Amino acid sequence: MSKLQDFIVNSRVWRSFFRHGWPDNPLDRSLVMTSNIFFHLHSVKVSRKSLRWSYSLGLGIISAIVFAVLTITGLLLMFYYAPTVERAYGYIITLQTLVPFGQLLRNLHRWSAHLMVLVVVMHMARVFYTGAYKPPREFNWVVGVILLLLTLGASFTGYLLPWDQLAYWAITVGTSVAAYEPMMGSTVKAFLLGGPEVGQEALTRFYALHIMLIPLGIGLLTSLHIWRVRKDGGLAANAVKDGGNNE
Amino acid sequence: MSNAQDQEPFEKSKSHSKTYSLVELVRAPTTMADHGPDESIFSFPVVALLESLLTLGVVAFLVIMSLAINAPLEEIANPNTTTDPAKAPWYFMGLQELLEHGHPTLMAVLMPTLMVLFVMAIPYLDNVREGAGVWFTSKKGKKITLYTAVYTLIAMPTYIFLDSTFPLREILRGQLPDFILQAAFPGLIMTVIVLLPLVFVWRTKPTPREWVMTLFTILFVGAIVFTLTGFLFRGPGFKLY
Repeated sequence: MSKLQDFIVNSRVWRSFFRHGWPDNPLDRSLVMTSNIFFHLHSVKVSRKSLRWSYSLGLGIISAIVFAVLTITGLLLMFYYAPTVERAYGYIITLQTLVPFGQLLRNLHRWSAHLMVLVVVMHMARVFYTGAYKPPREFNWVVGVILLLLTLGASFTGYLLPWDQLAYWAITVGTSVAAYEPMMGSTVKAFLLGGPEVGQEALTRFYALHIMLIPLGIGLLTSLHIWRVRKDGGLAANAVKDGGNNE
Repeated sequence: MSNAQDQEPFEKSKSHSKTYSLVELVRAPTTMADHGPDESIFSFPVVALLESLLTLGVVAFLVIMSLAINAPLEEIANPNTTTDPAKAPWYFMGLQELLEHGHPTLMAVLMPTLMVLFVMAIPYLDNVREGAGVWFTSKKGKKITLYTAVYTLIAMPTYIFLDSTFPLREILRGQLPDFILQAAFPGLIMTVIVLLPLVFVWRTKPTPREWVMTLFTILFVGAIVFTLTGFLFRGPGFKLY
């Protein structure tokens, strides 16, 4: 068995995939992190303090996980949907009644969207109350606030897509709020809706924002966000001296 | 011991062969100074494993929830039939609730914009390095947060209730200019509610951290109160029930 493992791990094919040895020693465990695109956002070593659930509650990672679930289920949903006023609702009915696991797929996407808003808000509160926005992490806090706004935007634009009464009137109410802004309000509303009221143009624009622009922004800024966490020395808990209460 | 000090350990530095010099003193934490024993562990495999477990947990939770509850779907959109109440998604219900209490430009534009700007400015208002990485920073911070939260939980629902039951803005409509009734008056009340705890905190000689903690708690708990009120307690005609 161990011979087979040696053979595989030392084969030229394996070595072309992974440029490090079996991670059972400090050097290779470091190389796993630094030579892997998915792991390299992590630091090679982490402090035990930052792993405590009671400190971070894992909320940042959970929001990234939920975003991944949303990306996957969203991509699958795209196979059974078209953003036209005539057909969108019919596609949802078809998805729920005829497509295998269609209802489950839609439920997953819907509840994940709600959960993501909730978790991201809780993550913000956690970061605030642990003082983790303090220097040198000021800018990352600002990036986080933008990510929160993008999350709201992603959820809001997705709300319209089923084209049912709930979607239609929620977006009508939501976008009418924008129009109250005295200077730019009506321009913003017209830009979002592409017309005086929620219709085909609005559906097209919300769809483009929902499946492309906003997720792209979230993906990009999340990378920046996590990368900066590492660059700033990991979680703020690391900076706390043992037993210190900073009083 | 004292002998060693008498020997002037830096004597050598006066020689011409010295190859180093003090260039600058920087006030910044060094990587290892003042740190206890190295408490770090390799990210692989522990962190990778924890993240995989968390992923499994989150996905399991979502699948169970999705099996139990179906996503809502109503009839096809009909621009001619208004739903009653017409509600925005739950995370914007706070905004919709605010709209009930004053001029739309003040409540739905100015207030949220100020809130977002304040939240973004937090690290620049409180830029003291100390106090990071600990929940509420200190015992006093915990106390301030708790008292402010309790205050907000009383003040905001009271305001929502009073403003909905005895709407001075409606009773006095036509007797005073609209600007005073719809914008200046509610704006003043809101400002007083938000700034009142700051007066109390001010007397305890707060640090910047405690200032922003007070303000953030009012706004955060206030946002929760308004969101829940709009989401749970607004029925047909957007009336409180």
